[in-house]
Amino acid sequence: MTEEVKETINRLIGRFPKKESALLPVLTLLQKRKGYISENDLKDISGILDVPEARIFSTASFYTMLRLKPAGKYHIQVCTNVVCALLGSDAIFDYLSKKLNIHEGEITPDGLFSIVAVECLASCGNAPAMQINMEYHENLDTGKVDEIIDSIKRREVGG
Amino acid sequence: MISLTINEKEVTLDKPVTVLEAAKQAGIKIPTLCHHDLLKPWSGCRLCVVEVERMPRLQTACTLMAADGMVIKTESEAISNVRRGILEFLLINHPLDCPYCDKAGECELQDLVNKYGPTVGRYKEEKRKVPESHKDQIIARNTERCVMCTRCVRMCNDVQGASAISIIGRGNHSRMEPFSSESFDCEYCGNCLTVCPVGAILSRLYIHSFRPWQVDKEVGTICSYCGVGCSLVVQVRDDSIKRVIPKLGFGLNKGLLCSRGRFGYEYVNSPDRLKTPLVRKNGKLEESTWSEALSIIADKLTEIKGTSGGSAIAGIASPRCSNEDNYVLQKFMRVTCGSNNIDSLSRTGFAAAQKYFEDLLGQGITANIIDGIKNSEVVLVIGGDPTAVNPILGLSIREAARRGASIIVLGHAKGLEKFKTVQVVPPLFKEAEVLEALLVELFRAKGVRAELPFIDKEMRELSEKAAEKMDLPGFDELMKALLNSASTSIVLGMDLIQRTNGHRSLFGVAGITYLLEARLYLLSERPNEQGLIDAGCVPDMLPGGRPMNIPDFKSKFEAAWNGPIPDDDGLTLFEIIEGIKNRNIKALYVMGENPVFNLPGGPFLKDIFGNLDLLVVQDIFLTETAEIADVVLPALGWAEKSGTYTNLERRIQLQKQAVKTSRGMEDWRILSEISGRMGQKMGYLETDDIMREMAKVSPLYADLTYDEIGKGDCLWPYHGKPLRGEMNEVPPVVDAEKDYKADFYLAPEKLLFHSGTLSRKSPALMKICPEPTLKMSAASAGKLGLKEGDRVQFSTTAGSSEAPVSIDESIKDNRVFLSNNFQGSGVMDLLSFSIDEVTKAFGIEGCEVEIKKHGIKA
Repeated sequence: MTEEVKETINRLIGRFPKKESALLPVLTLLQKRKGYISENDLKDISGILDVPEARIFSTASFYTMLRLKPAGKYHIQVCTNVVCALLGSDAIFDYLSKKLNIHEGEITPDGLFSIVAVECLASCGNAPAMQINMEYHENLDTGKVDEIIDSIKRREVGG
Repeated sequence: MISLTINEKEVTLDKPVTVLEAAKQAGIKIPTLCHHDLLKPWSGCRLCVVEVERMPRLQTACTLMAADGMVIKTESEAISNVRRGILEFLLINHPLDCPYCDKAGECELQDLVNKYGPTVGRYKEEKRKVPESHKDQIIARNTERCVMCTRCVRMCNDVQGASAISIIGRGNHSRMEPFSSESFDCEYCGNCLTVCPVGAILSRLYIHSFRPWQVDKEVGTICSYCGVGCSLVVQVRDDSIKRVIPKLGFGLNKGLLCSRGRFGYEYVNSPDRLKTPLVRKNGKLEESTWSEALSIIADKLTEIKGTSGGSAIAGIASPRCSNEDNYVLQKFMRVTCGSNNIDSLSRTGFAAAQKYFEDLLGQGITANIIDGIKNSEVVLVIGGDPTAVNPILGLSIREAARRGASIIVLGHAKGLEKFKTVQVVPPLFKEAEVLEALLVELFRAKGVRAELPFIDKEMRELSEKAAEKMDLPGFDELMKALLNSASTSIVLGMDLIQRTNGHRSLFGVAGITYLLEARLYLLSERPNEQGLIDAGCVPDMLPGGRPMNIPDFKSKFEAAWNGPIPDDDGLTLFEIIEGIKNRNIKALYVMGENPVFNLPGGPFLKDIFGNLDLLVVQDIFLTETAEIADVVLPALGWAEKSGTYTNLERRIQLQKQAVKTSRGMEDWRILSEISGRMGQKMGYLETDDIMREMAKVSPLYADLTYDEIGKGDCLWPYHGKPLRGEMNEVPPVVDAEKDYKADFYLAPEKLLFHSGTLSRKSPALMKICPEPTLKMSAASAGKLGLKEGDRVQFSTTAGSSEAPVSIDESIKDNRVFLSNNFQGSGVMDLLSFSIDEVTKAFGIEGCEVEIKKHGIKA
């Protein structure tokens, strides 16, 4: 953990009456910085916040939006809840899985993509939907998926 | 006064309690699952719901406070429906593998479903699957059976304070897991086992070996490991110990246990136990018969007594043996052998400190109730880690911390790292100076207490001599906390006593205790250190702590024992060793002790014990000392014999026989047999006879009976008459100014998972902690270029050894620590020592050690 991160964490702690209250903001911060929270991070936070590691692990594992394993640079979350499922999210997921040649929870060898199936993304009006990092992609079909993935690939390879 | 109606029964309460508790007082049982008497109410399982008149919905009895005028129903059709519903939900994921599960028969879920539950489940989907974890060697975890009551997690967090397990995941996927997720990385107290209502957490020590209903005997007894003396229950089937469980709500531990007490009991069934007497013939120990062995001892002792006098005989008592055993030993030494040379290895710590404090402040000054620590405002921890030496006492300190007390650690205490408020690290081996400085500051702020003028005088002299205030990080904070504290507990470990200037530290502690009227606790590693003192196994005192040099006491005992007691002051432990060296002592009788391993300078002791004409060792294992003895006698171990034990708070408790064995004889019976053969019949048939005699002759045990002791609250001063302090002046301080400039110093460490040499025979404890490590601070490891787990060789002037490195963040100085438990690698063999002039304990400070990485030539 760099000194800069530690400083930011200490600033976060300052906003709360109890150190422990800063736990969620700190976890979010760490995830934002490298895409996931490592076991060493848990240990470090435990020291800084005076909260037992087990409790931090418990909290971190409770929230699906907090990841304890590395994810791709582009983390794809495909909604598989009722409305998306009715409109073919399973097919979208399978298509993505085949296209990227990875299973759920895995990362492509180049580290660019990872996919997971998630519960409702609150985009039922434009189902099926998926979220790539903080960006929404709605009214999906296989053609649109191709377009999105290919454009990312182009951008990454080109850049 | 609160009165309410539960199930049409009038209930009146003295103090506000929950409805659950009120019902319990009225003899009404409300079903619970997540509730446990050792834990705070949680209202997670909802099974304890009750109907309360004029309240719209069902209420959870475990969290609802009873109020005046409440009308409550604990059973009705509506309530039963709810309970059945809850249980049906719990059974959705519960595997129903009862025929295979070890908990069946004592499973709370099984009992509840039997009473309320649905006979058929309606759930058609797949059950949650979590494979049973086989990673841990001690704790069997089967999370599929878990009902998410979180009792284990709350126990681990809120009571034990280890915070090693948690519920991870969410909803259907949530499960209990140790943070390390493989084996447990915790204190192995096993208290999670106590509270688990189902078969999710079990002990591998007894898994698949018996059914709860096959237990044919339950014996309430006390633990054999440390000076706390926790109550526990031994479950027996066919004369073999099946398991050890706590006795909820009973004794001083109220159902909590530590790793040693819960998992360490298997040593009694070790195949290494001695089975027959051994006699040395042609230089080799050979199996013999009782009659031969006892006759050899009796003849030899008679011969030595005749030719060289009784003072050529010495005895070493055992803090692992009962009061009765020790009482008989000292009587055997004094009357049968005619020698006052009786001491024990407690001289090296507990007994030395206890004598110093009692001489100064009066008998019973260390007799304080462990439970009282919880209510202190300040707990001052000095010279040891209470959570390792006396784990259950350590829990009281953690509880005090939770209740807002300041926990001040002078030195280091790993188990209190998360709980300490202030840590003051004295300069290396200068604890005595810090304590003295503290005393001076307190005296300057508080002034004379005018109860014991000689102590006031000494403090005034010290404060006149003392220079500037000590400049040490945390010192001011420590001072402030102590000055503002209305109730202070001082917990003193052995580290400071085992110093050449130990008495100087002890005066500091005594002075602080006196000034603040603090409660003083002496950590005690062995179960009966206090008891052997009270039984008279000290050279200068008769049973009950009565000084030998007061003729009145002596003549009273002579009349009771029907024989003369020698006039001379007996020798203390190290004087006995000196006597053996000079060939003045010709016979040594060792009962349940292992001086060759447990004292510093083992090889030297082994050597000089060769001078003896007779070395008798009475033990349950062939210890390092027994190996060089002339006669070895097999004794009975814990759970095989009965007797009383006195713990560090001076509570007398009963240890009861649970199983029968033909392996050995009770220690007292062996002694009484030998005594008979030497012409002094003792006439004891059972331990009761000894207790009756002790109750008659010892002023401390006056009128005590087993019935009274068995109730568990036999507390100081019983019916006895304590004596006031012996001294009227403080012994002068003998302390040479020394510099400690070496890179590293070796010091002994007390492990949580081991106790003396007994625990090496416990398979469970050896699995948890299989080998010694050399503990050091991160800074020391950095200086040596070492990391966790690196094997190192280390040597002192006394010897050398090797072990892996373990980094301990709580250590703040350049000492490295090694335990004294494992065969062939005890720290004591590597330490050189000198004797404290006042307390007669050994001092082992300043032992320089050279450390190098394994395989690297210097």
